[in-house]
Amino acid sequence: MNLERDKTLWRLAMLIPPLAVFGVLVVWPLFSSFYYSFTNWNGFGANYRYVGLDNFLQIFDDPLFMRAIVNTVIWMLAAVILPTGLGLVLALLIDSQVPGASVFKSIFYLPICLSAIVVGQIWVWIYQPDWGLLNTAINLVTGGDSHFAWLAKPGTALYAVIAAWSWQQTGLAMVIFLAGLTAIPSDLVEVCHIEGASTGQRIRQVRPATVVVVALGVINSLKGFDVLYIMTGGGPFNTSDTLAMHMYNESFKKYHMGYGSAISVVLFLIALAIIFAYFRQLRKVDQIYE
Amino acid sequence: MSTLILKNIHKSFGAVDIIRGVDLDIRSGEFVVFVGPSGCGKSTLLRMISGLETTSSGTISIRDRDVTHVPPAKRGIAMVFQSYALFPHMSVADNITFGLRLQHAGKEEIARKLTEIADILHLTPLLDRRPKQLSGGQRQRVAIGRAIVRNPAVFLFDEPLSNLDAELRVSMRVEIAKLHRRIGATMIYVTHDQTEAMTLADKIIVMRSGKIEQAGTPDALYADPDNLFVAGFIGSPRMNFLGGILEADGQVRLDCGATFRSGILPAPTTPSAPITLGIRPEHFTGTDEAGGTVDVRVDMVENLGGTRFVYGTLKSGQAVIVEDRSESALRDGASISAGFPARKALLFDAEGRRIRSSDTANAMAAQ
Amino acid sequence: MNDRYASATTSPSFNPWPAAIFVCLTVLAVLFLAPTIGVLLSSLKTTQDIALGKLWSLPTSLYLDNFATVLTNPAIHTYLLNTLLIAVPATAGSIALGILSGYVFAKLPFRGSDILFLAIVAGMFFPPQVILIPLFRLFNGLGLLDTLWPMIFVHIAMGIPICTLMMRNFFATVPAALREAAIIEGASEWQVLSKVALPLSLPALAVLSTLQFTWIWNDFLWPLIFTQSDDKRTIMLGLVFLQGQYSVAWGIQGALSLVASLPTLIVFLFFQRYFIKGMTMGAVKG
Repeated sequence: MNLERDKTLWRLAMLIPPLAVFGVLVVWPLFSSFYYSFTNWNGFGANYRYVGLDNFLQIFDDPLFMRAIVNTVIWMLAAVILPTGLGLVLALLIDSQVPGASVFKSIFYLPICLSAIVVGQIWVWIYQPDWGLLNTAINLVTGGDSHFAWLAKPGTALYAVIAAWSWQQTGLAMVIFLAGLTAIPSDLVEVCHIEGASTGQRIRQVRPATVVVVALGVINSLKGFDVLYIMTGGGPFNTSDTLAMHMYNESFKKYHMGYGSAISVVLFLIALAIIFAYFRQLRKVDQIYE
Repeated sequence: MSTLILKNIHKSFGAVDIIRGVDLDIRSGEFVVFVGPSGCGKSTLLRMISGLETTSSGTISIRDRDVTHVPPAKRGIAMVFQSYALFPHMSVADNITFGLRLQHAGKEEIARKLTEIADILHLTPLLDRRPKQLSGGQRQRVAIGRAIVRNPAVFLFDEPLSNLDAELRVSMRVEIAKLHRRIGATMIYVTHDQTEAMTLADKIIVMRSGKIEQAGTPDALYADPDNLFVAGFIGSPRMNFLGGILEADGQVRLDCGATFRSGILPAPTTPSAPITLGIRPEHFTGTDEAGGTVDVRVDMVENLGGTRFVYGTLKSGQAVIVEDRSESALRDGASISAGFPARKALLFDAEGRRIRSSDTANAMAAQ
Repeated sequence: MNDRYASATTSPSFNPWPAAIFVCLTVLAVLFLAPTIGVLLSSLKTTQDIALGKLWSLPTSLYLDNFATVLTNPAIHTYLLNTLLIAVPATAGSIALGILSGYVFAKLPFRGSDILFLAIVAGMFFPPQVILIPLFRLFNGLGLLDTLWPMIFVHIAMGIPICTLMMRNFFATVPAALREAAIIEGASEWQVLSKVALPLSLPALAVLSTLQFTWIWNDFLWPLIFTQSDDKRTIMLGLVFLQGQYSVAWGIQGALSLVASLPTLIVFLFFQRYFIKGMTMGAVKG
């Protein structure tokens, strides 16, 4: 069959370049990481040996890891609540046909085009103890003279970073919610109520968007490295470390690449679990809205 | 000369048989219409002829060349799609000359052919426009132009009028008929609309469930259908089907009580055979010596201006449609007598096959 | 219009006070803009002024020295150039590969192509940390560490999932009949892609270009891992590095932040529509 054979040749010709690049630079390294996590490689040379599950067992003895995973979970929870909630509120407000909606949309969405480094930089200044926006505003309101160093105190450092990250992430959540709100619902009955829709109906309508927003938020929180690096570097004294930061420190500062690989494997497994849950939720929601 | 020959074509998608043994012989210059209900396989058959779909078995020959495994572009076919499939980002001229440009034909040749086609189809003032700036009828002409420029052995039309509104459909139908007369090419046309089939075709192929039910001229299919399905499919409004018994002497006794002399003798082994009588609404023109009359209780009258259709019920409870050109007053609930001549009455056996007088003679001879 | 329906159906309308909403949004917008305005203001002030707490007052005169310092710093020129040299080829490369795979998944599906597609798209979601070490070893072995090449290659590879997703979603909206008509005219699949599908996909390409360029320009992690010398740094790396050099020169750092963000800000302002479309097209469609 000439026709089928031609089609298949083109399938190969067009798929091989992207699959090859993706395979060599993403898939194969992924499996390599699993491999390295069972070794004690130090990043240089080839004399390293197989150490079985030692790296993974070491995790339980590593207080820094324990701290990192707690922080990571905190960040993930914050991702579900903060930018998601605020993004939904903003989307609902903007969707109510308020004048200047597109200007508002741009303002909230602007931070997306900034680098995480710049975002971190900006918020470092906001948290600046002496003249930063936060302390200035607080002092204005309370009449006090606080010079609280938000990023230098173990109790607040992580949350300060999460706030900065949320500032950027909220715009993304808002835009996705808006897309969900303005999409035409499949239930024809709902169409009649759109103009005067009650809050409850609106919130039900954004259920698929919510799944996306939460999943994206959680995944992005797992990836959040740049903003942490520039704001605290994981400090003070590793108290704001996340798994990503801890992995970086172990791998590229201390050259425990075997151990670092193990940490990255843990990070990957967490992400995998989230992706599975996301795809399953998506399918469920798709079925409801069919 | 045969332009297109299909031999024993079968097509399955996985476990589903779509085409179950089709043989076809189409002569040069014929306008052939594939018609049938949704899912009968007519579009699949067309696509297999075009080469867009492969056959599971069987051969396709175009002008004595086996093209079963030849790619569409090299078969000598051209196709007009239901949606016209004009390239939105190209002008009318570029759309029409797309194939020529792909072959790197000479600039002069391209220009010459373009002018020729634009002339035939009255597209000359539209050559620089984009498809979205054209009306439905103009788009169809561009699609046809793109097909003509290929100088194909066979033109394929895949329900080209389905997207148009009723009025446009009629005028475009006439355009296509005129085109065929003008360029005399072999055309295969797929539609689910039997009116299009009747008006355009030299030969109609009625399909059902992947098989050909009957192939013939419009007149043949109209007046001499092979089975119930074809009889009911062709003609609008639909032929009336009345239940009855064919008795040994050729007399037909209908369920509603009426009788008439059919002149068709049943096979000797089945003296009283249950049959279906088919009579078209337009053939209730009055009975003759051999014809019959049925009493119809009027339920509703559809007045079309030039004629009217009476929807009624027989004594047997069966629904019936009668065309009535008399201008006598008709009230709902009234009773009318509808007579029909014997020669317009068609008989079908219990399996839906047509009973013709020569059939019974052959059946007797076969005993 | 809201009110008319509200009274007609007597169902509780969500928005009885448009004015209140407007005020609410304005307050939130001001709060949201404050950080960005802060940077802008700081870039126009002297270090002294800022330290004295005068950051939030409007500048009385236009103090452009900070920008001058930044824009005349040859190191910063290098950083910007490096970033451009990475972002442009990587954007083009990832989009080109996404076009190829997107076309196959949309127009030439095969048994198992759905799963393959999902697997590639899933690649968007996992943390890059998990491939840092092997890629470090790979480029070290190839002798490409401390050059711009690793970033280009990695960004092309990491961009394949999103580019494939978007182009496949777009190509799926091109009617199958268009491809078939082109095939009958004698086009090969490549010609269908290049002469029919691609010219129609300019809006999708605009979306992808803005997304990819922004993402790659703003990237920090890969240059951090793969470069060492100052003359190979990208602008975001430079920002962090210069924190040490400019330490308390807040004004200069502010100006630097703005300069570093300028390309993506411009892209954002002009192609906002595409940005938003891109984020939602990829995201909501899953």
